[in-house]
Amino acid sequence: MRNGWDDEQLLGALREAMRAREAVPSWFVEMGKNAYAWHNIDAELAQLTYDSQADTEQLAFVRSETASIRALTFTSAHLSLEIEVGKDSLLGQVIPPQAGTLETYTKAGLTTSPVDESGYFAVEPIPPNPFRLRFHTSDGADVVTGWITL
Amino acid sequence: MRDDPTVVALVTRAAASDQGAWDEIVDRYAPLVWSICSGFRLSNHDVEDVAQNVWLLLVGQLGTLREPAALPGWLATTTRRECLRVVTASRKSERLGTELDEAAQFVADTVVDEEILVAERNTALRAAFAELPPRCQQLLSMLLRDPPCSYGTISATLDIPIGSIGPQRARCLERMRKSSALLGLIEVGVNFPGGDPGA
Repeated sequence: MRNGWDDEQLLGALREAMRAREAVPSWFVEMGKNAYAWHNIDAELAQLTYDSQADTEQLAFVRSETASIRALTFTSAHLSLEIEVGKDSLLGQVIPPQAGTLETYTKAGLTTSPVDESGYFAVEPIPPNPFRLRFHTSDGADVVTGWITL
Repeated sequence: MRDDPTVVALVTRAAASDQGAWDEIVDRYAPLVWSICSGFRLSNHDVEDVAQNVWLLLVGQLGTLREPAALPGWLATTTRRECLRVVTASRKSERLGTELDEAAQFVADTVVDEEILVAERNTALRAAFAELPPRCQQLLSMLLRDPPCSYGTISATLDIPIGSIGPQRARCLERMRKSSALLGLIEVGVNFPGGDPGA
């Protein structure tokens, strides 16, 4: 046999191939399959442009008291999402203010929160890490953050 | 690297919104991503982080992958880069220097080709096995068990005489060898474990 693939070696190689697949946990495969939900989502990416915690670390030498509420801002070309991390919830506002829908994506799936005329929204409880926020309106605005780990 | 027509077709279909094709891509290559993550000894949490990013990056690039046939290489490189990112982030928090990171990068680059080859070989072997008739799959599965089933058990379970197990095993393996999935691999002369490919 060309290249020496005799029966024992072929069987041995097959055994190794099967073990390599069996070693992979099912949650790992499921997670990969679920990622397809992001196919064809054509939302604009909003980048993290401000994180109060990063600020606090830099100022720690000069300021003994640190802010208890963490604030984050995500900015895209057309709008921003400002978020405050409270004890039990995320409170946020879309700038410029406008009504729409906020979706929170986690590994477990998707939850939806309304955004009122003033752009305010609340996500409760705080989603598990990592998560992504997507804001969209009926007139076509569509913005998504990167994966957020608090 | 050889052009695997199956991979090209799967990528094309997945780019055209075929969830089934995407699932098959994940089924085929999750072991590759997993084995690279295992090499970095990451926590489960970090493994999730890495894999999440790898698959999302792939979803985002399905339509623009320049060479779909090179998908295993792309996945290996991307997984490795994401693993290094996680490792570097935790090192930074431990205030360790960049020399370690450079060393890790070097090791990473040299191991990657070997892993891609092993993953491709394993993928081809599993594909060849999946193409076998059910009787062959049953027989080989029983032989592959650890420890392997005795010929007596196989004979009773599959209702075949003990004397014909050996010949059937040989026929099944010969079929596997001739499958399109394995022929591509054998032509390229990819190594198999413990064997001499140049024989």
